[in-house]
Parts: sequence; C-alpha cells; structure tokens
Amino acid sequence: MGDQSNSPSSSIDSSSHPALCSPSSIFQTRRDLLSTDLKLGLGLSTSALHGCSSKEREQLSHWPPIKPLLRSTLEEKVHRSHSKTFFVKVYMEGLPIGRKLDLFSHNGYDSLMRTLRRMFRTTITCPDTSRVPPEKAHVLTYEDEEGDWMMVGDVPWEFFLRTVKRLKITRADKC
Amino acid sequence: MTYFPEEVVEHIFDFVGSHRDRNTVSTVCKAWYQVERLSRRTVFVGNCYAIRPERVMARFPGIKSLSVKGKPHFADFNLVPYDWGGFALPWIEAAARRCPGLEELRLKRMVVTDDGLELLARSFPNFKSLVLISCEGFSTDGLAAIATYCRGLRELDLQENEVEDHGCQWLSFFPDSCTSLVSLNFGCLKGEVNGGALERLVARCPNLRSLKLNRAVSVESLNKILARASHLVDLGTGSFAVDHRTDAYHTLMNSFPKFKSLRNLSGFWDASPCCLRAVYPVCTNLTVLNLSYAPAIQGDDLIKIICLCFKLQKLWVLDSIGDKGLAVVASTCKELQELRVFPCDIYGAGTTSVTEEGLLAVSSGCPKLNSLLYFCYQMTNAALITVAKNCPHFTRFRLCILDPGKPDPVTNQPLDEGFGAIVRSCKNLRRLSLSGLLTDQVFLYIGMYAEHLEMLSIAFAGDSDKGMIYVLNGCKNLRKLEIRDCPFGDIALLKNVAKYETMRSLWMSSCDITLGGCKALAAKMPRLNVEIINENEETDEFEENLSDLHKLEKIYVYRTVAGPRNDAPDFVWTL
Repeated sequence: MGDQSNSPSSSIDSSSHPALCSPSSIFQTRRDLLSTDLKLGLGLSTSALHGCSSKEREQLSHWPPIKPLLRSTLEEKVHRSHSKTFFVKVYMEGLPIGRKLDLFSHNGYDSLMRTLRRMFRTTITCPDTSRVPPEKAHVLTYEDEEGDWMMVGDVPWEFFLRTVKRLKITRADKC
Repeated sequence: MTYFPEEVVEHIFDFVGSHRDRNTVSTVCKAWYQVERLSRRTVFVGNCYAIRPERVMARFPGIKSLSVKGKPHFADFNLVPYDWGGFALPWIEAAARRCPGLEELRLKRMVVTDDGLELLARSFPNFKSLVLISCEGFSTDGLAAIATYCRGLRELDLQENEVEDHGCQWLSFFPDSCTSLVSLNFGCLKGEVNGGALERLVARCPNLRSLKLNRAVSVESLNKILARASHLVDLGTGSFAVDHRTDAYHTLMNSFPKFKSLRNLSGFWDASPCCLRAVYPVCTNLTVLNLSYAPAIQGDDLIKIICLCFKLQKLWVLDSIGDKGLAVVASTCKELQELRVFPCDIYGAGTTSVTEEGLLAVSSGCPKLNSLLYFCYQMTNAALITVAKNCPHFTRFRLCILDPGKPDPVTNQPLDEGFGAIVRSCKNLRRLSLSGLLTDQVFLYIGMYAEHLEMLSIAFAGDSDKGMIYVLNGCKNLRKLEIRDCPFGDIALLKNVAKYETMRSLWMSSCDITLGGCKALAAKMPRLNVEIINENEETDEFEENLSDLHKLEKIYVYRTVAGPRNDAPDFVWTL
C-alpha cells in the first residue's frame, strides 16, 4: 500500500462514494485516493457528480465558476439533451380523443409529419409546398409558449422544440 | 510648486490621469489636496463599504464620473447570499445632493432599485452614461424612468444583470427628441421589447455605434434594425435563429456586407450553422467575436468562421471548438490578445472539449496573447511550462480545470511547477486563478515571483496554512484574495494581519477559519470589517452560545474608513 501518513482515512468504501459529493469532500477523496496509490481518473468524479442527490447538486452548482447567464444558457441545452423524451398532446379537429407524441424521437419536421400522417391517417401539408391543398387535407399547427396557435414549419426545428406546447391538426381551409 | 497659482497647478494635474497617481498627488500638501479634490472628475470606489458615499461627494464635488463596486467577486458564482448588501441607493442619493453635475455612473455587483433609477434619472440634468454590470433588484420600470428623464443619454449598457420583466414598453419611453444614443446594450433582458419602438429609436440615433440586442429579438426584427444602422461598430445579434428557407434568412444574408465599420460581434443565442454564414462577409474586419452563448454551433462550423478572422484581438468561445479549432485560431489570429474558452458541458465528462494541446497551440501561434480564461478537463506541467516560455506577456491568467484537485494526467504530479513557471515568466501578471492538484509549493512560488499580482483566486488547493502565509508575505501588490475550499485556518489568517490593510478585501469560504480566529483578527485590526456570513438557520438562535471553535462557512474581510456597516442583514455579523 502507498504512503498513508497524509490521509485521515485510508480506505474509502466504494459504496459511500455517492455521499462524498460536496466539493471539499471530492477534493479530500482525490487526495486520499492519490495517497493510497489508487489511480482513479476522471471517471470517478463524474460518476460522483451523477450519483449526487439534488441537495448535493445544489452545493456543486457553485462549480464550475461560470456566470449565471452562461450557466442558464448551457443548462437549457443540458436539460434538453438529458431529458430523453418530450411528449406533447396531439388533437385532430373533429376527434375528441387526442394522442401523445414524443417530439424528441424525431429529428426534424419531415420525420414528425410522417409519424402524424401514419397516426391520423390523413394528408398533412407543409407551409412551403406551393401545391394548393385539396379539401380533405389538413395542416399542422402548434400552440406556443405565449398561447398563440402557429403553423408548424416556419422556424428551425430546435427553436420549435423550445416553444411548442401541443399540436393540433386542423382542416386546411381554416388557415 | 506652492508659488504657482492654483490654476496652473490644476492644469498640471489635468495630465495626471490615473486614480492612483491622483491619490498620491493629493497627499503631498494641503494646497495640493485642495486643488486636486476640486479638479477631480472621475472617482473609482472598489468597495462600496470602504467609505461612506457622503464623504466621497463632499471631498469631490466636481465629479462627472463615478464607478462603484459592491459584492465580492465570488457573488458571480452564487457564493454570496442574495440579500448580503451592496445597495446603490445611498450612492445615488449622496450624488444627487452634492454632485448634480454627474454625467456617468458605473455600478458593478450592486443592488439597484427602480426607485434608485428614477432618482438617478431625475437628479442629473447632464447625465450621459449608465453602465450596470452584474447588478440586480430592478425591473424594466426603472429602465423606463431612465429613458424618460435622461435627456441627452448617450449610453445605456446593461451587462449580465438580473432584471425583472415588467413588460416590453420601456423602450417606448425614449422620447422622439432622443437622438443622442451612441451605445445601447440590453442583452441580459429576458423579456420581449417593443420591436417598432426599437426600430424607430435606432433610426433616429445617427451616432449609434454599439447595439446589443437580447435573445428575444427575432431575425425579422434584426433585419429591420440593420437596415437603419449601417454605421454600427459593435453588434449583439439577438436570437439569430431563422430557417434558411425563409425570406428573413435571405435578407439577413444580404445585410452584412454593407457593414463596413463592424468590428465586434456577439449574441448568436439560437444560431444554427447556416445562419452563421450570414456574418462571413464581415469576419475579415472583426476584432472581437463572442460565440460563447451559441451551444448549437459545433467545432467544424466554428472553424469555418474563425479562419476568416485574421484581425481578431478578442475571442470568446465554448470548448466545442476543440484542440483542432484552437490550432486554427493559432494559425489565423495573429493579433489575438484575449482568449476565453468556456465549458459547454458542465456536468459531463467532456468528450468534446479542449486539453493542454489547444492552449499550447495558441500560446505558440499568438505572440500578442496577454489575457486568458481557459476551462478544460486536464492540464500538464509540461504544457504550462511551455506556455510560460511562449507567452511572457500574460497580465491575466485564469485556468479552470473542471475536475477539482486533478493532477497532471501524464506524471500524476501536482501542477505546482506549471503555475510556478507562469508566475516566474510573466513578470506583469496582475490576475491569476489556479486549479488542479496544488500543494503549498505553488504558493511559495507565487509569493516569491508574482510581484505585480493584484488578484488571486484559489479553489481546492494547498496542504496547510503555509500556503496562504506564503502569499500574504510575498505579493506586495496584492489587492484581492479569494479562497474557497482550502485547508487554511486561523494560523494563516492571523499570521500577517497588517497585510489586510494594504488590500481591498479577503474572501474565504469552506476553509478552516473559526469564530475565535475572526474575533482575534477583528480585535487586532479595528480598521477592518470582519464579516461572518452565516446562512445556517440553527446557529442563528445560538449566536451567543457559539464557541470560538465553531468553524465558519464564509468570511469577508475588508479595509474600511466607514466602520461596520448599518445595512447588514441578520445573517451577516460584523465583528
């Protein structure tokens, strides 16, 4: 075993790792592990971070030292990528019972349209097709964060994901 | 000199610009003190609690420009409780009473209220410039007051503030007669602004050179604004998200080529790679580029834009640029002076990020580099030693290794030698932030070599009190010392108490300081405020019963001529 004179506790029980989540105890863990000659690298601290409770996450939210505006911009991106699903309600005009759809399982408007056409067995047209939609066709609209109903497809996909609350398939001649 | 008439002395003092020189000049004799104080036009107060506002205004009745800072720097990272203090109102009130000629006010990390802003707006007829950085406590109503009453306003610059959104109308309060704006920055506002009012304001201000929009401004609105503001030097683009199939996109693509004067670009909050192409025509003239709010832009697209920016002096990016992107910076941006690389992925393992390779490349490719803020997952001593050799001109060097206490991954050694090389080589180093595994040795080097160091930030470093003592005994120009999560205790705190009167402030959190240690410090040094910030609700009730051995979570020590402050909240005790 390595030199133990520096470490207050020389053996770290692996089951206690998730508890050692405050920055100073991660630091102590680092020092202790080094002094007992265990070579645990980057993997340990990140798993410790992920294994933390939300209270411990609170304390760690002061690290890394970045300003609030940048932190909230990055966290938004993180929440987006960590949240594996984003289900929204979809109603079709005339049908009282709606469906639910995971927007994260699609990578763009084309994929979304294909799924909806299959789900509701109807033609859904996009705003950029110049063809005049026939009577039976529908268009896809969505409710944004301000409560307004908008045509789907005008804004970039990522932007759409940020603002969409739910979807509605309405008759083309209503738009 | 005393035989010269005052006007001559005053004229000579006109050439004495810096605060420090003017402060020195005022101590020579009573006559010079008088001349200096009446002719002083700019005052900078680094700590709002170091002196009472009334004293400043009484001494310098003729000031035109006032700059005041409030909370300690670690407040930026949520380490200072919300209502700790730093109130702007007493300063605004004192200036309103004694210095009605005030033209410029700059506040950093202070609590500003709507009432304060209204008082400001109504009290100074020649008011020209308001700069608020990292402030909070006000809303868009306060901004409306500024817009309404500040005739002749030239600059409204809001950086990183927490502003409560009370609606989009505040911009409409700029009267039609307001045509004097040169600089308008509302990038930190969360809410919408009235697009029409913004466009009309831009159209009637022919001297507008700097415009920084917030995220809520759409590309459609940006297009209309750009059509009226072709003399812009500095632009914050707002959201910058637009589908490439739309008219708005084509208009945007055609807008930028006519911006012959554009030198600074920032914003890009929701920009996608194809939107970024719109700015290619202006890249060759850019001196400042800030892409740190654009996490959707990946390394390859960053490279495409950077390889056009050969006049760039300041670059702020996310670490998605990668070592490969930094190599492109090194080969393209020969004029680069300041580089900031922020972490994109603050929770994860950083699979696409930068390492010591990127920093090495920039240090060897950019001879003028003097200011660095670099977030990375690893750093080696060898790299730091080479960087120190390549760049002896660093004035600001801040390295943040995201994994606290991480050693050199190649040698498994602490990074003492690497940082030691930096302080030895960079003789003009004024600001330093340390990270990674560090022992007391690095502080020995800092104390010995960092003669011009003014600000030092330490986290998760050191073995014993000796570390802090080395710094306090060396570093003769040290002004601000901020420490978190280090094993420094009372012995270090009390070893060189006279030092604190030569410094602006000391912050220590999550260290080994006890109540007894602080009491001893306060007793020895009556001209320091020793503040204990105690957020633990339990100990509140047992205040009197707290033993001297009780470890303190946060302390803030600063020199002052104002005595203990009278606006401290319950959880702040000044000993």
